[in-house]
Amino acid sequence: MSDRKTMTLNLTDAEMNALEELCRKKDLSKTALMRQALRLYQLINARLDVGEKLYFEHEKSKAKSEVMVL
Amino acid sequence: MTETSPVFLLDRATRKLRDAIFVDDVPPELVSQVQSAWSPHFAGSTAEHGHWDWNKKYELVEQAPLVYRVFGIVVDEEMQGLMLVSTAGKNCRETSQNGKPLVYIEYLATAPWNSADIVAEPRFSGVGKIFIRAAIELSLEEEFGGRIGLHSLPQAETWYRDVCGMTDLGADTKYQGLHYFEMTPQQIEAFMRG
Repeated sequence: MSDRKTMTLNLTDAEMNALEELCRKKDLSKTALMRQALRLYQLINARLDVGEKLYFEHEKSKAKSEVMVL
Repeated sequence: MTETSPVFLLDRATRKLRDAIFVDDVPPELVSQVQSAWSPHFAGSTAEHGHWDWNKKYELVEQAPLVYRVFGIVVDEEMQGLMLVSTAGKNCRETSQNGKPLVYIEYLATAPWNSADIVAEPRFSGVGKIFIRAAIELSLEEEFGGRIGLHSLPQAETWYRDVCGMTDLGADTKYQGLHYFEMTPQQIEAFMRG
């Protein structure tokens, strides 16, 4: 396993609540969840950088909406 | 960064275990060498993965190195198998663990000279099991509870179902009709004991 570094993350109550809710839902610690979020952000940005677009598609109606990523 | 650890493969000719090296994060130059070494052996074979281009697949790692990782197993300086996994963006589908994150095996292949579909007398066995074990261990390390998933080529379905004991969730119409397999904690425990 690679060496890991520690950082302090300052979150608002709402952000911390959202983080804790996602941790419960995904059965992950806060660290594991933040690592997942970082990986996904890297993946999405890499795909956008090569000209791809990110969409959500409704399973039944097949309606598509493009997701804008900062 | 590339790290290595010792593992063993069964030499099918001598029925003895051979020392092998498990490689974490296989570097691109080695992937390229493997592609050159393997591809001539697939000529004229019926192996469903014979057309795989590992150089092309490695582009995923270059694109998102935190997400994609390539592992390999080396004996006598020859790559005996490669596996590419993703550690983000895939969730479980099996009812008991639906929505939980997993390690997804994008591609897993043994060297052509180890495959009974390609040669009459395969050299080593055990490559697939070492990779499945490594994917489970990675999943545990990532706090995914050992959960793994994959889409199988038809030639490998029986192996994932009967040898690995994975749940076959049926043909995935959104993935070329390939069967999707997943491993639950109970199946992981049974596999790791075996």
